Amino acid sequence: MRRHWHYLAVSRVVTQRFGSLLRKCAVRCALCAVMVSFCPVLAAQDIVVNPSVSQPSVAKSTLRAIFGMRMRNWSDNTPITVFVLRNDDPVHTAFSKEVLNMFPHQLQRAWDRLVFSGTGQAPVVVNSLQEMAEKVAATPGAVGYLKRDMIDDRLRVLIVQ
Amino acid sequence: MIDYASSLFSKGGRAPSRGVACALLFCVGFAPTLVVAIDPAVQFHGFFTQGYSYTSDNSFFGSAAAEGSFDYTEVGVNASARPNKYLLATGQILYREAGAADDRVDLDYALLDYRGHSTEFVDAGVRLGRIKNPLGLYNDTRDVAVSRPSVILPQSIYFDRTRDLALSGDGIGFYGERRGDRSVLTVEFNVVKPRVDTDNLEPILLGAQRVGRFEDEPSALVRAILNTAEERLRLALSVAAVNLRYEAGPNDVSDSGDVLFSPRILSIQYNAERWILTSEYARREFEFDDIAYIPFDTRTGESFYLQAQYKLADCCWILGRRDVLYQDIDDKSGEKFEALTGGARPAHTQFAKDWTVSLRWQPGRNWLVSAEHHWVQGTAWLPIEDNPDPAQTVEDWRMFLMLVSVWF
Repeated sequence: MRRHWHYLAVSRVVTQRFGSLLRKCAVRCALCAVMVSFCPVLAAQDIVVNPSVSQPSVAKSTLRAIFGMRMRNWSDNTPITVFVLRNDDPVHTAFSKEVLNMFPHQLQRAWDRLVFSGTGQAPVVVNSLQEMAEKVAATPGAVGYLKRDMIDDRLRVLIVQ
Repeated sequence: MIDYASSLFSKGGRAPSRGVACALLFCVGFAPTLVVAIDPAVQFHGFFTQGYSYTSDNSFFGSAAAEGSFDYTEVGVNASARPNKYLLATGQILYREAGAADDRVDLDYALLDYRGHSTEFVDAGVRLGRIKNPLGLYNDTRDVAVSRPSVILPQSIYFDRTRDLALSGDGIGFYGERRGDRSVLTVEFNVVKPRVDTDNLEPILLGAQRVGRFEDEPSALVRAILNTAEERLRLALSVAAVNLRYEAGPNDVSDSGDVLFSPRILSIQYNAERWILTSEYARREFEFDDIAYIPFDTRTGESFYLQAQYKLADCCWILGRRDVLYQDIDDKSGEKFEALTGGARPAHTQFAKDWTVSLRWQPGRNWLVSAEHHWVQGTAWLPIEDNPDPAQTVEDWRMFLMLVSVWF
């Protein structure tokens, strides 16, 4: 107990002495993070849906089932159409690793299993982000992913919980 | 309808199969243009695989000792459609030539999938028709090169000898999936009539061609797969009870009787960014009831393999595998069996231990080249059609296999 108290006392002194320095540091780090996230190469991917999709958000486990092609309908029972970029596209790699926390080779094997065992269908593969935006905007029930700066009012962002 | 379709394919299959294969290839080439024309909910996919085999001794996929063979071809085309929000209809036609063992066009699967229950975290449904048998990690797509980790699957579990039984069955299948934050559980339960090729089964189960024939009986298969949420770890347990009935013919040396085949497979796989580690362990129980002239009533086989895949680059994977099969856990050396058969079937027909090193190169998005070398001791999974006289087989042998595959 005494030792514990001792550590608390020390940490209080540290906070008092270096508090302003720590605060400055935190602000700078936050600024850095904001700048990095707006940098086009590292821009985060957002899940976009056709505006016909009524549900505002989706659980991560559900999102994996959707892009794993195991879930076929939205919660309002309208059919889902999944659009993805080619496996070797860096945006696809970033999406599967950062958003789904899966490797592209895992997704590909899951699709192959479904397609060649008669238990599911493959996602629609598009060749560019522009095509992704067009297709998702034009297909009811469509879902895909886009860089933040490419999202316009023909699309809606699906919030991942 | 399914029975009719399959009998149509298998009866007409033998002679004109080359022609049909060409027709399938034609479809493979033109299907993508069709896809554009029809609804996006309708999909066509297919594959073409050509293999090459070279064996130091024994015969595999048509190779003679120290003589290569191209008698290994797999062609498949499938279609799938979603006529409404609850239904998925799928079907696949498969042509396969693998040495003397197989040379025909078959209806691989054709089913209606009704997804009756679908919420954010639970899906459940029922499949009706010819359904792929859920066994282990690879059985569902065993004839599709792109979904195999190596040129051939680990033969201890995915051997070709009782291939028809393993492929698919006609009946009903229930499935459900429960998604949690940390894991996903999928359960499949099928009640089907297995596909029985009596000419293929008699030499394996009865030791020789007999006058009678094997009939299919209702059989059950269950598979449960537990995945961690990101599918890093996959665990699966498959259990099946495959029932067969032998109906003796006139003046048959065997009596009529039942055969129960119950394989149990435990599977585990770990996926990393560059590594995939896979292992499966299987026990195969055979029970023979009343069929005379079989040297045993029950028999339990054991199989397991350990496999490591490493991604060298985006295009290339390397694989190493140790694969072991025992026909009878009470006679792993096969010596008892050799004595029982009076030396007609050597001890080494009762086991197979295989070291495999395999390379897989995917130069483009839709094609791959794969090559591998096997060092095998024992002949337990050698196809009987290619090696009709077990006494002529060699215990220690090597094999080089290669394939080129395209798909869409």
